[in-house]
Amino acid sequence: MQLPGTQVSVLEAASATDARSVTALADELGAKPETVVGAVFELENRCLLTVEERTEKRVALTDEGETYVESGLPEVRLYRAAVEAGATDDAISMGQAIGASGLEGDAVDIALANYARKGYGSIESGELTADPDADPDADGEATVLTALADGPVDAEDIEESVLDQLVSRDLVTVSESTERLVTLTDEGVTALMEGVEESETVGQLTPELLTSGDWQDVEFTEYNVEADAETRYGGKKHILRQTADRVKDVLVGMGFQEMEGPHADAEFWINDCLFMPQDHPARTHWDQFALDVPPMQDLPAELVDRVEDAHRNGVGEDGDGYHSPWTEEVARGVDLRGHTTSLSMRYLSGLAEGELEPPQRYFSVEKVYRNDTLDATHLLEFFQIEGWVMAEDLSVRDLMGTFTEFYEQFGITDLQFKPHYNPYTEPSFELFGEHPETGEIVEIGNSGIFREEVLRPLGVDCDVMAWGLALERLLMLTHGFEDIRDVHGTLVDLDFLRTEEVVH
Amino acid sequence: MPVVDVDPDALRRFTGHDEKDDAELKEDLFGLGLEFEGETEDGEFQLEFAPDRLDRLSVEGVARSLRYQYGDDRGVYVPNTNDPDWTIEVDPSVPDERPFVTGAVIRDVNLDEAALDSLIQLQEKLHATMGRKRVKGAIGIHDLTMLKGRLASEEAGNSIQYVGVEPDEDRFVPLDSDRELTPGEVLTEHQTGKEYADIVADYERYPAIYDDIGLFSFPPVINGRRTEVDTDSRDLFVEMTGTDQWTIDKMLNIVCYALDARGATVEEVTVDYPDDPVYADESVERVDPGVDVVRPDLSTSEKHVTHDRIEGLLGVNFDPDEVVDLLERAGLDAATEETDDGALGYRVAVPPYRVDVLHPLDIVDDVGRAYGFNELDPQYPEVGTVGGRHDRSTLEDAVREQLVGLGFTDLLNFHMTNEAENYERMRVNPDEDDCLGAGEPVTITEPYSEDYTMVRTWALPSLAMVLENNTHRSYPQDIAEVGFAAEYDASEDSYVAERQTVAGALARHDASYEDAKAVLQSLARDFDVELETPRTEHPSFIDGRTASVVMDGEAVGVVGELHPAVLVEHDLELPVVAFEFGLEALK
Repeated sequence: MQLPGTQVSVLEAASATDARSVTALADELGAKPETVVGAVFELENRCLLTVEERTEKRVALTDEGETYVESGLPEVRLYRAAVEAGATDDAISMGQAIGASGLEGDAVDIALANYARKGYGSIESGELTADPDADPDADGEATVLTALADGPVDAEDIEESVLDQLVSRDLVTVSESTERLVTLTDEGVTALMEGVEESETVGQLTPELLTSGDWQDVEFTEYNVEADAETRYGGKKHILRQTADRVKDVLVGMGFQEMEGPHADAEFWINDCLFMPQDHPARTHWDQFALDVPPMQDLPAELVDRVEDAHRNGVGEDGDGYHSPWTEEVARGVDLRGHTTSLSMRYLSGLAEGELEPPQRYFSVEKVYRNDTLDATHLLEFFQIEGWVMAEDLSVRDLMGTFTEFYEQFGITDLQFKPHYNPYTEPSFELFGEHPETGEIVEIGNSGIFREEVLRPLGVDCDVMAWGLALERLLMLTHGFEDIRDVHGTLVDLDFLRTEEVVH
Repeated sequence: MPVVDVDPDALRRFTGHDEKDDAELKEDLFGLGLEFEGETEDGEFQLEFAPDRLDRLSVEGVARSLRYQYGDDRGVYVPNTNDPDWTIEVDPSVPDERPFVTGAVIRDVNLDEAALDSLIQLQEKLHATMGRKRVKGAIGIHDLTMLKGRLASEEAGNSIQYVGVEPDEDRFVPLDSDRELTPGEVLTEHQTGKEYADIVADYERYPAIYDDIGLFSFPPVINGRRTEVDTDSRDLFVEMTGTDQWTIDKMLNIVCYALDARGATVEEVTVDYPDDPVYADESVERVDPGVDVVRPDLSTSEKHVTHDRIEGLLGVNFDPDEVVDLLERAGLDAATEETDDGALGYRVAVPPYRVDVLHPLDIVDDVGRAYGFNELDPQYPEVGTVGGRHDRSTLEDAVREQLVGLGFTDLLNFHMTNEAENYERMRVNPDEDDCLGAGEPVTITEPYSEDYTMVRTWALPSLAMVLENNTHRSYPQDIAEVGFAAEYDASEDSYVAERQTVAGALARHDASYEDAKAVLQSLARDFDVELETPRTEHPSFIDGRTASVVMDGEAVGVVGELHPAVLVEHDLELPVVAFEFGLEALK
């Protein structure tokens, strides 16, 4: 039979006639008790050993008990002093006896309390006698204390009444411990007689070990399981994508449908439909990227007329237009979109997915392009979260309710709505919220209810509220990034992407 | 957004609220939407605000808004004006690009240093906003006592003339100069002239204003020194020229209101247009030919708004009295009326300095601001809709998931790049090559930075740049991007063909073609498409180790080992295998 080394040693050390404790075996083998216990149980499973558990009461000295081993029990010291002073003949004063004994403090009370009980004499009216027949050398309690000085003793070896006294005097403690005793079985004896060999330790579990069944007979080399392993980088989604995913999940959960559309689009969709006058400062090349391509070929003619009319004459009976130039040539110019509101315009016009009947909710999390100065908080390209709700009658309160709900999903609460101005919405609000980490009040979006000058030309006769927010801004708020250039673009540090905590 | 510097002491004086400390003022200003951005060296507040209420571009206007907010003033205020004595005669020679002019005379103004600074700031801020950097409207303010009017007619008083002149037809001494220059010389030799030369660059004749003595102003560029305003000036002549009558009239109203608030008297000016004016922009709103126009036009305009619309949009129930009260606190006049279909409505008068009220909705916004939007309780709209993702974005996501599962670090690169990165450093020649990435670029008309001059035609150059920037990081570096690329394409409506692209690169000491092909095989299996990789050539890759990516029979991309010259160009010292193909192929 082949067995792991420890099991072989334990088996050889065990006896069929004499139950041996695990502690004793461990001492003998120079092994850790837990290692021996493991081996013992393995051997029991193989029916080579029986294991019997025995609970033992062990008696040990307390600190006080230990001092009496050296100095003697107080009552014994009092008796010896009293005998010396002649108290076997006549009663002497208590003070004299105590003085002669050298006892002090608590020890005096202890001596007096036990003196008469143990028959060393009597104490009466301040006078003390000593029994000449008493034998302090035969004091049961003192004997036990002396015996314990060499180490704990089994409680069964001590007379019960003496033990109780010592326990009540706090001179000894009794503790229970379980000891496992092992005895060889007949099979164990047979196995030993037939010969037991030590099996090898194994570094790697191999297919051969598994299929042959040899795994049962081998011992695995122990590893340092606390040591660091080699660094491993799995694939990981970009942190900004993870944030985008989360935003999309939240919005889909709130009933929003995703939009998509061109990055390069006519200014008509990007600006004119949004009732941005053509001489608006944000429409110069300093703010948007005009592309060096011919004008957009196909724009819906009737819509173009209606939009131009809104710009020139306003909408409604007493609406006014802008006093700004408007030409189709400018409207047909192709730009990289400065906001994804161009998608909203395409959807609201019916061009993207046909006429929309209220209610509708739409969103996108897509890239936009702004000719800005590149710095820690501004990129030339970033992701805009854009969302809108179309319904028969919407109020500012509905707008507030929707955004409160959305931002709560990202831990941003206590929204404030600061009245604002956008050419395309009225009323308009900048949204402010409390930073989840720093508690600062920070801007977290721009919102409003689309103007009738935007909606009526598109053929929308109900209300639409909309909002926009940079995804990077949301990420910076929720993750506390300081420089957005570390995150987005070709300057990104791969180790940053590899090690950044995931969004969930 | 405009920023205006306002002296808090002046603000206390104009509002009549000496008791307000700076902190209180800041809070009240925030309530108006004017954000405190900081202080100037002289302790003036720098206030930033949205560009709708341009009547708040000076301390006088800000104070007026505060007085309405405090409830000290209610309803519309219109200053009294005196009848005109001066006329601006518009000569047919005026450049047809800049046919419009307006003006006012201001009497008995007390211009101390602070008042003069405030006036100059108002002028500059109006130029920057409504005036569109003086293109649409430019303001000239002159010391009236230095002007010598011509006798306009028997019955009327003095006149000045708005004319067009040849660039070097006449001379005058402009501000900040001590010698006579022609308008043409001003544009090349004078600092301010150079700054605004672009505006009149295409004009055949330059705008000029004459009095009896001669040329004294060259709008929109610079005034003459003769009529310069200083702290001793008591009477002013304000003229404005521009491309649109409404715009300069509104700018004039804002200036007149500000000077009225300083105790000056506004005197009207007659503008005498020619009988048959010519406009360069035919679509521009015309003035009635041959009719004398009297300015400033301080008449109110009228809007009608229904009670239902106010309640509906704000989500609050109001008493009609309450609405009228809120409108008056917003500086408007209001009276209830019955609409044609019998509903309750309001007739609202809007003061002449407001430039932002186009539609009744703007009146509702004023009610909301006066009421306090933050008083409203948010409510989640009871509107049931079903959410969902777009097919394209779910496909993108699915591919990204698979690539991440294969161990790639997902990247997110800029879509804008430059010719060197997109072509040259990848050894691609867009004029000669016909391969992935060699498409004609979509370029940016007026690029701000030479790093970003075009939209990338493919994504691999971005990946190469990321590898280049991370040579100090541990290998292997397996990176991928599912992103966007575009190229010029005349068959598209917008002349831009946009596509989603899948690109990956494996930078490893032992990278070989097989490693990249294995990824493609895995993707092909995951998305159930048939993959073939017939041999091809591509300048970015090593010949004989490059294949065309053919999915379901269509060539959609390229895979191979990057060419050593590309690697060296990007400071890479180990082999890189890479692939890129159109996302649509996995659909």
